[in-house]
Amino acid sequence: MNTNSNVYTVIYTTVVCVLVAAVLAFVSQTLKPKQEANEKAETISQILTAAQFGEKSEWAAKGNTAVLDFYKENIAEAIVINKAGEKVATLDTQSSEVYNVAKLKAQNYSIKDGSEVELPVYIFKNGVTVLPIYGAGLWGPVWGYVALQDDLKTIVGAYFDHESETPGLGGKIKDDPAFRAQFAGKSVDFADAKPFAIVKGGAPAGKTNAIDAITGATMTSNGLDQAINNWLNAYGSYLGGSSEHKCCGHCGEGHECCGECADCEKACDEPCEACQAADSTSTAE
Amino acid sequence: MGKMKETILNPIFKGNPITVLVLGICSSLAVTVGLKGACVMALSVIAVTGLSSLVCSLIRKTIPNRVRIIIQLVVVALMVILVDQLLKAFAYAIDKQLSVYIGLIITNCIVMGRIEAFALGNKPIPSLLDGLANGAGYGLILIVVAFFRELFGSGTLFGYPVLSAIGYTNNGLMILPPMALILLGCVIWIQRSIQKDLQEK
Repeated sequence: MNTNSNVYTVIYTTVVCVLVAAVLAFVSQTLKPKQEANEKAETISQILTAAQFGEKSEWAAKGNTAVLDFYKENIAEAIVINKAGEKVATLDTQSSEVYNVAKLKAQNYSIKDGSEVELPVYIFKNGVTVLPIYGAGLWGPVWGYVALQDDLKTIVGAYFDHESETPGLGGKIKDDPAFRAQFAGKSVDFADAKPFAIVKGGAPAGKTNAIDAITGATMTSNGLDQAINNWLNAYGSYLGGSSEHKCCGHCGEGHECCGECADCEKACDEPCEACQAADSTSTAE
Repeated sequence: MGKMKETILNPIFKGNPITVLVLGICSSLAVTVGLKGACVMALSVIAVTGLSSLVCSLIRKTIPNRVRIIIQLVVVALMVILVDQLLKAFAYAIDKQLSVYIGLIITNCIVMGRIEAFALGNKPIPSLLDGLANGAGYGLILIVVAFFRELFGSGTLFGYPVLSAIGYTNNGLMILPPMALILLGCVIWIQRSIQKDLQEK
């Protein structure tokens, strides 16, 4: 057969392409559930590591099922909030529904252009609240989780991941436990220009909302700093620090100001009924 | 049988794809920071070179000459994506660590080079062996370089503390790609001083 004729060449290439595409489609479909389960377990193990329920490497060794089981057992609530800090949806904790990196990326666009957001909040039974962050490092995206105590100010721990930061330099945000350990015991302070700072050359002594940057990884440190601040500000209302909603945080539209906040323009002496109700329920809980 | 042995042993030392043919340098600089990553990368490349050489050899008589490169590329790409998908499903942590470099095996000159130079003119079994052996030759260098880089750069081997346990201060240069190139140069130097026929006059 003349393998150099035009007809043969066209038919041959077409058949090869179709065959290869069929094989790939089949493999992709077959492996998809497993791959998605891996991704989910990875995300959850990062959340658990941030919340100080063990180290990332330990979770990896324990396997996906152990990670999911632990999460289901210890999570109290996973909610989605909007810009105003109001709960708009619930994530199903029993099926371990979480925001994956792609979803964080989508939210990051919304945060940047100031449009409405849907941000996840993971609240554990021991009171620890975990918030994700996402931003740009030096070579690619960086993301991670910051865990706060039930006062929503004190940081319990953090975990970060990245796509392509330089191993040994920027990669330390993930690989260096000493860098992550700095977060524990620090706090988020919305009264400051930046709620949290990663400072090149070392954080000033006594400053509770700042940590040291990584030597030799200024760009990654800056990127992470920005990612943390952008996202913390986006969570500002929920965390009770945003200037837009300084009135005690319960007052949405149509409510009177509850007067808990000195900065509030509509300062009044008594909380409104709705706020009082909200206060009493939250105290009752 | 002697020829078979030659096919297998030649690419591992005397005709090593990295140190003699100087192919696949890019990825050998990128994935040799740690031994674990280097080992998985080595296995992945062995699988890809072996299987794509085998498949290309099987269909070598049917490939239209004018489009043979692109057909080879399709076969190689298929194998690489299969490896990537399998790693994502069964070795997620390693796949994350190797990230884009698995996908970049497609552009690894060793794979295409061996198909062009060997698989298209030889029977399937020798082609498979040639592919596997070339992958192994590549992997060997990767592991040698990664051994030194991880040992002196992070003080660990396979993530277990070795030098760091005895108070060694990590050498940051070891972790960066330039040091991989220097180490690779040293490996080539050692090989050429043993194998005198490789030295240019």
